[in-house]
Amino acid sequence: MSQMVRAFAPKADPDKCVGCGNCQLYCPEGTVMLDENKKPIYDYRYCKGCGVCANECPVHAIEMVKEGTQ
Amino acid sequence: MSFTRMMEGNEAAAWGAKLARAEVVPAYPITPQTELISNIATLIADGTMKAEYIKVEGEHTAMAAAVGASVAGARVFTASSSQGLAFMEEALWQPPGRRLPIVMCMVNRTMGPLGGLRPDHTDSLLQRDLGWIQLYCENSQEVLDTILMGYKVGEDRDIYLPVGVCYDGYFVSATATPTTVPDQAEVDKWLPPYRHEWYSLIPGEFKMPPPQSFVQMRMGLEDALQRSKKAIEAVDKDYKRRFGRGYDGLLEEYNCKDAEAVIMTMGSMTGTARDVVDIMRDKGKNVGLIKMRGFRPFPTEELQRIAPKYKALAVVDRNNSFGSAGGGIVSMEVARALYSVPDRPLLLNFHVGLSGTDVTMRQIEYMYKETLKAAETGKVRRVVDWVETHDLGEVM
Amino acid sequence: MISEKFDRRYSDILIQGGTQCCPGCGGPLFWKLALEALGPETIVYGDGPCAMCALRSIKVPFFAIHFSFIADGATGISAAMRAKGREDITIVSSGGDGATGDISLGKVSAAAERNENIIQVCIDNEAYMNTGIQKSGLTPYGAWTTTTPAGKESNKKDVPLIIAAHKVPYVATASVAYPRDLQAKLRKAKEIKGFKYIHTVIPCPTGWRFDPAKSVEVTRLGVDTWTWPLYEIEKGVLKMSRKPEQKPVTEYLKAQGRFRGLKELQVEHIQAEVDARRKNLIAQDGKSLTI
Repeated sequence: MSQMVRAFAPKADPDKCVGCGNCQLYCPEGTVMLDENKKPIYDYRYCKGCGVCANECPVHAIEMVKEGTQ
Repeated sequence: MSFTRMMEGNEAAAWGAKLARAEVVPAYPITPQTELISNIATLIADGTMKAEYIKVEGEHTAMAAAVGASVAGARVFTASSSQGLAFMEEALWQPPGRRLPIVMCMVNRTMGPLGGLRPDHTDSLLQRDLGWIQLYCENSQEVLDTILMGYKVGEDRDIYLPVGVCYDGYFVSATATPTTVPDQAEVDKWLPPYRHEWYSLIPGEFKMPPPQSFVQMRMGLEDALQRSKKAIEAVDKDYKRRFGRGYDGLLEEYNCKDAEAVIMTMGSMTGTARDVVDIMRDKGKNVGLIKMRGFRPFPTEELQRIAPKYKALAVVDRNNSFGSAGGGIVSMEVARALYSVPDRPLLLNFHVGLSGTDVTMRQIEYMYKETLKAAETGKVRRVVDWVETHDLGEVM
Repeated sequence: MISEKFDRRYSDILIQGGTQCCPGCGGPLFWKLALEALGPETIVYGDGPCAMCALRSIKVPFFAIHFSFIADGATGISAAMRAKGREDITIVSSGGDGATGDISLGKVSAAAERNENIIQVCIDNEAYMNTGIQKSGLTPYGAWTTTTPAGKESNKKDVPLIIAAHKVPYVATASVAYPRDLQAKLRKAKEIKGFKYIHTVIPCPTGWRFDPAKSVEVTRLGVDTWTWPLYEIEKGVLKMSRKPEQKPVTEYLKAQGRFRGLKELQVEHIQAEVDARRKNLIAQDGKSLTI
């Protein structure tokens, strides 16, 4: 659904991620959460590609890439 | 225990709300409704009535609080008049649109700036298009009874409509007449607790009406109003059976046997008109009286059925619709209802009692004389007649 | 399956992901945080902000009339719950800045005066955003809106202080950039009986003109420049929630397109106002604000 409106989509690098949880905390839509390994997973059905998660990640583990390439 | 004593309309209404076991009363004072809500406050304060009385800061809030409480599952009662009704107009659309069975007393008072505190029906008639049931009461007793009937009709799961119980300020609200207050236990047997099947705000049981198109909702509302005609009549009959008092549903024909000229009244002037009819009949005049109790839903079918019996029908409008197609609000609806009836009577329209001036026996007699003249000659002298412009030899 | 995990999550967090709000809108973020703090035994009533689009996605009972009725419907719901012996349910009345601060200000004031047992939240995106960015009484000085294209001429209405003057048990300001603080305030409010007021300025990328990715960052700047200070007024006593090292207000203003037209003199004026406010707040911290 959101693929139609998303220009960019978030892509998380699990190796850079330190599991702080900022992305999950600040995502306005609740479409990113840390899985059981404390790595971010995305609900691309509903993610709007706003980029807040990427902006708030303290270690720049999330990159906003062109929609369709995440 | 049932009891009878002299009671003003505003006190009778308070007893109606009490007997109905209204649970939430959000209300704001306005003359001539004020005693109604202070009476309720007294009934609550002395423990006679158990309800949440919300002393809101304005009528706009009163109706919104009423809507919130009704959706949340409480039986709601409120009241207002004139400027207050106009102020809550935005919120008045909510109960019929959402199908919430709120009962509200509309204590009729003229609208400013063209009047003061005394009654005419423009205030409640202004709200006629919203989808509220509107029943007009003649005296204190009828007010009390109609409030109870209003809940019974409104909360019927096939109806779910709000009810406006309208009565004249001062002439009913502040005039004491003998009123019987039925026994609470008897009322409890007749009027079960409120439970709206479409709504719940309780977490875990959240329920709202299913999504519909706006056209579907409007048609649903219109259908409910049409269905309510039968419900109003049935509840009236049932109430009469149980409590001994009935009001003939939406329209009452009073002393109309073989009448040629009838007038149709609404509200307190009906009481005066009854006396005039009796006196004129004694003098051999073929006159009769139709009391319009229900204005909404408009009793089209019933009117179409009874009107052809008469030669001339005069509609008495204690209201104004400035710049209208012709005359007052009730007369225009009557004209529409009778338009397609081939043997319809001649239609006259009188404005009287505007801004709450007294409607005197002499004025009613004048209206009958004009109507009789029309019945005799087959011609209507004036399409719209403002009775107060005629000097009938009275000190007004 | 990831989608199953998320579907479960949306039930847990009481809000469905993918609201109709703009990307980066602070509204859904507010409700996500708030509902986590308040829990499922909550009824939300309210209308107004376009942040309300988020309210259509929440998973607790919700009811709205129009934004001219903020606090009114909640008053009725509260009375009904009292009549039914369900005062255990938390009732939240929600409105945007236009609703709470302008058209329904009288309503909110009256509900405060009656000490209605509700949490009144103001979700403030600083303009009538739902109708296309028109000025509200809570639009800050100098901000561009479609009805103030040369920048708003008057100051932002101080609604929290107005409500505090009603001597209600609890008033607080909050920010989605400081989520744990926001949640703590909601949890505290939930336990207090009487009228509670929590005012949160939320970012609006569309109306404030900035990249949605910066939403939380801009909001944080609002707090850190003391433009939107965080405090509580509990039983009339002021308590600062944060006393951050003050950043110059230009950092906040430059981050948003709506302040692009500000002249040097106006920026100085804004800084002076912010400084004065900060001075007063620090001086009053811990003291009673009621006269």
